[in-house]
Amino acid sequence: MSSQCSEPKSAQEQTVAVETGSEWRMLSYIAIVYFSIKNIFKTAQTLIYAVPALAITANVTDMLESPLAYLVFFGAITFLSVSGLASFLMYRFRIHNEHVEVRSGVFQRAHINLPFWRIQNVKIEHPFYYRPFGYSVVVLDTAGSAKEEANIVAVTTEYAEALKSQILSHQKSETSHNANSEPVDLEKTDTTHVNTLDETVINHRSIGDIVIHGFTNNRVWILLGAAAPFYDTLVEQVGGWLTSKGLQLDQLVGEQTIAWWQFGLYAFAIVMMLMAVLALLSVGGALFTFYGYTLSKTADRYIRRSGLLNKQEVSMRATRIQVVSAKQDWLDKILKRVNLYFEQNASLDHGAPELMSSNRLIVPSVTVEETAVLAQDVLPNCNLYRDDYKSINRRYIWHCFLVGLLAPFAIAMTIGIVGQHWDVIVGAVAISGAIAGIIVLRWWRWGIAEDEDYIYVRSGRVGLDYKCFQRFKVQQVVIKQSWFMKRRGLASVKFVMASGAITVPFLPEDYVWTLINSTAYSVESTRRSWM
Amino acid sequence: MELNDNFSNESIADLPKLESQPLVDISPKYRRLNLLVTVVAVVLVVGVLSAVRFQPFIELNHGLKIAYPFSVSIVFALGLWSFVYHFFADPLIGYCLREQDISLQKGLIFRSLSCQPILRIQHVEVKRGPLMRLAGLSALHVFSAGGALHTFQIPGLEDDTAQQLRQFILDHKALSEGQF
Repeated sequence: MSSQCSEPKSAQEQTVAVETGSEWRMLSYIAIVYFSIKNIFKTAQTLIYAVPALAITANVTDMLESPLAYLVFFGAITFLSVSGLASFLMYRFRIHNEHVEVRSGVFQRAHINLPFWRIQNVKIEHPFYYRPFGYSVVVLDTAGSAKEEANIVAVTTEYAEALKSQILSHQKSETSHNANSEPVDLEKTDTTHVNTLDETVINHRSIGDIVIHGFTNNRVWILLGAAAPFYDTLVEQVGGWLTSKGLQLDQLVGEQTIAWWQFGLYAFAIVMMLMAVLALLSVGGALFTFYGYTLSKTADRYIRRSGLLNKQEVSMRATRIQVVSAKQDWLDKILKRVNLYFEQNASLDHGAPELMSSNRLIVPSVTVEETAVLAQDVLPNCNLYRDDYKSINRRYIWHCFLVGLLAPFAIAMTIGIVGQHWDVIVGAVAISGAIAGIIVLRWWRWGIAEDEDYIYVRSGRVGLDYKCFQRFKVQQVVIKQSWFMKRRGLASVKFVMASGAITVPFLPEDYVWTLINSTAYSVESTRRSWM
Repeated sequence: MELNDNFSNESIADLPKLESQPLVDISPKYRRLNLLVTVVAVVLVVGVLSAVRFQPFIELNHGLKIAYPFSVSIVFALGLWSFVYHFFADPLIGYCLREQDISLQKGLIFRSLSCQPILRIQHVEVKRGPLMRLAGLSALHVFSAGGALHTFQIPGLEDDTAQQLRQFILDHKALSEGQF
């Protein structure tokens, strides 16, 4: 069955090994595991909508104890394994005459025929249960829809690599061939076909970096999401544990048996414990997604690979990057780390989880120096950390005070003074003071700078975000001005990019007009594509 | 060193200035339509409320009777606000078509002017609701990759004008060259 797996790897024989001839091949038996797991996920995805209804109508723990539950459980397991086996039996592939052909599906049969030249990118994935046996999944991307994507589900890693290099070298030879015969097409072919052959790793993250990332960023949900079914049991267990240590939560809150400072101390200790647990979970989540992180670069793409159990791969065309943004939270600032994002067209794959989505490529917790280097790799000669950011006008602070803060503050103060509730007055003053501080910080951070090619925007409150984009990639520019701003000669500018809008408020009106005119000129005169 | 004849790099003293371009007003019918719709809507809603309040068939409970004057005044207030807003704001809507871009100015207290380069347009639609059709008006919707939130819309255009604008965009060199 898998005779191709044992072929030696010399260059000559690779081509022989890759070509399967006209006969259809089956996969390795390990593919049954793959199909089963995939089917489980598919079923879970469709069932997830039924979960809230189930939870409301029945007590889950009661259901688990009834014999019916076992029946359903075993039924589901049998169904899934049989479906995995069926999917495996119905799957055939062949690589013949520079075409990849795949037949699959149990009830709904699909036949995909993919010529090598249409393949945009070849990904090799290693699910964790494949790794000990040296198997891989080959994912073939086309420029077209996701439906046309072909997966060769279980082949040996050597075979996968051989196939990949053959497809890519085929594209390369095609490119050079085209370059000789049709010089006009050179540019087009270049960008679409020169591919992952010469891949260089330009950044990798050590475990230390990822641990830092876990601390500074909330990656709790990665693990919490996976643990959701066990919450009930967990709460019960923790409650039981606390009780066994002589701590009765109900008692603590319900009765005035202890002094308030004792209660405060308990609360503080519990909050600190929770924070520590959350931080640990977050580190775990970060390791789960970012373990072994590498960012590599090919002729026209950036590729991110990472993951502890399942290696993920997100690849992004360099030309499609709209905005480079460097984000630093307050904790990042203390540790001098930056999360760098390459953002592309936001209208692609809506709803994909942030870290998986292909419209945002993250480089987690890099140092400031590395940020500058990586940003310049994407946008040559850009300088994020420049010192000529123009601050926005101080009236922004007054604007926020008047529009956002004044009314709630006045209402709270009136209630406090009329009713003589001193706690309300103190609370209102304290909260308003904090908000005012944040507004002032926001004003202080917000600024814009530009050079010949790029526009830079700095923003943030306690943290600091830098964004940089090429002028000619702007989709639409907007100037906004209230009647009061006009009187003061101020205006706000909004750059609409394919990855989202970027606004800078309260700039001098003349300057905004220059920005708008020069941006429009740059888009319209260069006529360069934003893709 | 060999010089390239095609190369030119003269300094651009004056960029084309958007702020000094004259704007074209949209059709005055748009304001009339909006004002009419506001009045009719207020009259209709107040009419229905009053009909329910004063009908002789069912005795309403006390709460509903008290709610009546409040709801009527809220409807009036909203109607008045909408009327005043459209009365003053609609004549301020204007657009400007240049060779390479199309701009729209709007707003009463918060004024905004957005500029959409034709090169970045992905598709154009002329939309006509039933009331707009009665009034002979159309709206031009221009979509870019900036997403649905930033769709560029010019309301209240005469049908012919909207079609002409649409055709101008479709025939534009920037789009027909296939570079977007």
